[in-house]
Amino acid sequence: METLRLKLSLTDEEIRKLSEMLGREPNTLELLMVDAEWSEHCSYKSSKPLLKGFLTEGERVILGPGYDAGVLDLGNSYILTIHIESHNHPSAIDPYGGAATGIGGVVRDILSMGTRPIALLDVLRFGRIDKSNHSKWLFKNVIKGIADYGNCIGVPTIAGEIEFDECFERNCLVDVVCLGLGKRENLTLSLAQDEGDSIILVGGRTGRDGIKGASFASKTLADEEDRSVVQIPDPFTKKLLIEATLEAVATGRVKGLKDLGGGGLSCALSEVADKGNSGLIINLDKIPLREEDMNEIEIMLSESQERMLFVVEKGYEYEIGKIFEKYGLNFSVIGKVCKDGYLNLKNKERLVSRIPVKILANAPIIYRESKEPPLKEFENIEKPSLDLDWNKVLKRLLSNPSIASKAWVYEQYDHEVGVRTVIKPGFSDASVLRIPHGKFIAVKADGNSKHCNLDPYNGSAGILSEACRNVICVGAEPMAFVDHMQFGDPGNPEVFWYFSQAVKGMADYSKHLNIPCVGGKVSFYNEDEVTKKAIKPSPIACVIGLIEREEQIKRIEANYNDSIFLLGITKDEMGGSEYYEFIHNLVGGLCPKVNFEFDKTLFKALKEAIKKDLVKSLHDLSKGGLAIALAELCIFNNRGIKVNLDSLPRKTNRVDEILFSESHSRFLIIPRKGRIKELKNLFEEKGIPFVRIGKVYGEELDIFFQGRNLIKLGLDDLLKPYHESIPKIMGDLE
Amino acid sequence: MGNYKVEVLIENKPKLRDPEGETIHKELLLKGGYNMVKEVRTGKMIRIVLEAENGLEAENLVRKLCDELRIYNPLVSSLRIKLVEAS
Repeated sequence: METLRLKLSLTDEEIRKLSEMLGREPNTLELLMVDAEWSEHCSYKSSKPLLKGFLTEGERVILGPGYDAGVLDLGNSYILTIHIESHNHPSAIDPYGGAATGIGGVVRDILSMGTRPIALLDVLRFGRIDKSNHSKWLFKNVIKGIADYGNCIGVPTIAGEIEFDECFERNCLVDVVCLGLGKRENLTLSLAQDEGDSIILVGGRTGRDGIKGASFASKTLADEEDRSVVQIPDPFTKKLLIEATLEAVATGRVKGLKDLGGGGLSCALSEVADKGNSGLIINLDKIPLREEDMNEIEIMLSESQERMLFVVEKGYEYEIGKIFEKYGLNFSVIGKVCKDGYLNLKNKERLVSRIPVKILANAPIIYRESKEPPLKEFENIEKPSLDLDWNKVLKRLLSNPSIASKAWVYEQYDHEVGVRTVIKPGFSDASVLRIPHGKFIAVKADGNSKHCNLDPYNGSAGILSEACRNVICVGAEPMAFVDHMQFGDPGNPEVFWYFSQAVKGMADYSKHLNIPCVGGKVSFYNEDEVTKKAIKPSPIACVIGLIEREEQIKRIEANYNDSIFLLGITKDEMGGSEYYEFIHNLVGGLCPKVNFEFDKTLFKALKEAIKKDLVKSLHDLSKGGLAIALAELCIFNNRGIKVNLDSLPRKTNRVDEILFSESHSRFLIIPRKGRIKELKNLFEEKGIPFVRIGKVYGEELDIFFQGRNLIKLGLDDLLKPYHESIPKIMGDLE
Repeated sequence: MGNYKVEVLIENKPKLRDPEGETIHKELLLKGGYNMVKEVRTGKMIRIVLEAENGLEAENLVRKLCDELRIYNPLVSSLRIKLVEAS
């Protein structure tokens, strides 16, 4: 018992509470099932109260957080599902398999709503690949894992975001978002409601892999022994599972579906029963095993991949079984739904556990202590010297892996399979997918750990704002989002303060802008196993937008003599900027703040401008600020730009701040020919700063300010660092 | 000093699954009528020719380079090193 207790994530207090609720001592199997279920990973016991702050309802929301995926109404009886998952800890020890099984998991979540997975996005965080071989190894193998798995199952990876920072050296972050498309009548929920319905387990056999995975993700990465938890990805079976599941759902006899992920059968069973207010009788001896001598604990907690749980209407087991047989998938009727509210586990008719599903599926909430770290002292730092060669600085920033082209990454992905992809990764601020009835969706995920490190409230609100701006740039209207909150140990009051501020920032923004959250994840215990330091706080938001008509799709287009306008105000907001941290190794300064009210007005105005076709092209200013956005405009179009920043709306006169500040809610806009006046009036009426700064001209980027030619770089000088940086670091280019 | 040819075989650890091998077994061999086939495992083979004092040193060097340069992930895969030729 003592050695067992050492291996548990449960605290003594939780074990005591469990015994109290049960009215008896739990047996070893029960203790381990609860250990998995009550882990942070499965239970959200520390985060639940705070997550209630999000806006979760909206015009298009059919189902918000709490299910395997969020569900949105696309009209014409079509639905879109979206979910985000991370696989940080498994990827840190087995980058190839960890990343691949991460996709496997999120794909199953989409599938378990009865919808077809149509696209993947990934948001990745690594250490400095330009400095560390270990990070390079993680980076290379995570990308390969995603590529191999995604390509094998025929789901395109259409967009993503990658940041590099020393804090992720040994704890990389691997987040995957999956989108699904389906018909409303096929929407299936993860619940078991009706007495007598059969529980069928389908797909991979249950083996010893990944045992204790859920509890593992809820502990910081530790010793070698923990490393038997690697999971082996099996995209071949996954592809069959996708097709068989969708065919089974179409019969109308599948009443509930649940994927098996963290916590294995134990979690999946108790959650479907909890949601359906029912009980289950499960025969463990009916579960197809890979190894004969597995015990009850191993069976219940195994995290073997590619398994799905079906709740099938009584009397249709044979019909549904025929479908699985056709695809050559293992399946077995392992039990049935009852009404007693208990998870009854039997092994060869012997009752081995009987525990109320409400206890198993609902961990006692933990109210964590929160303490604000002394962040104020970071605000007033000595600003760096202005005596610099700005051409050199810009070239270095373009080669910064967080800013440089990610073609090395997405060229390994199949981003076109399924022929839905209209705007591919790397060519715009967001990706665009074709959906039925002539409509399109835009999607983009964003994060900014450096901003959040200095100011989690504004940093986190800013992430959601930026993701919204990115989908607006391709002509879409933000419809909903999913979030992912990734932090260190929540038992550390400063970490918990960061977490609560980040949640509050994003939640306040979502309410103010009326953009509902339809799902999300929380991942704690992300810290460096050597330095014991938590990662920089890393919230992520993935926004989905809707485009009603094809003509509204915007690309980053710039033709000679097009006028370039800047929208928004540039401020002294260099805290957490790539310029401070990458160029000067300087952590501090003021983090960019989002003006919620301004964004609200701005988004409305942009919607109108796009609807009236006043805008030809929009580009959001983000990492690296104005100078990088201008350089990108040159790079994407292979044309020069000449601008004068004298009339730039600003609250600073420092050259570095004008060029590289990461102030929010700014765009480079190229108006439609002949509609400039209308566009100006539209913005002026609403008090939105909007000025002409220059035009598309020549073969170089020329930036003037107060009589000085700050930057003068030929196209080659821009293209080379931007395109060659990552291939050079990865050794694919001399 | 002489030249030695060493073969490195990398496969998933015995307890871990090998979905590629299973797929070949089930989808190709069994469906093709070879019912006597009981198991298929796949892996990756790397053949290295290197200069060393003797065969043992050649094998040790190969093991060292595989470990150091992360040619395989020791948590997932097993490594077999075999000297096949000395000249």
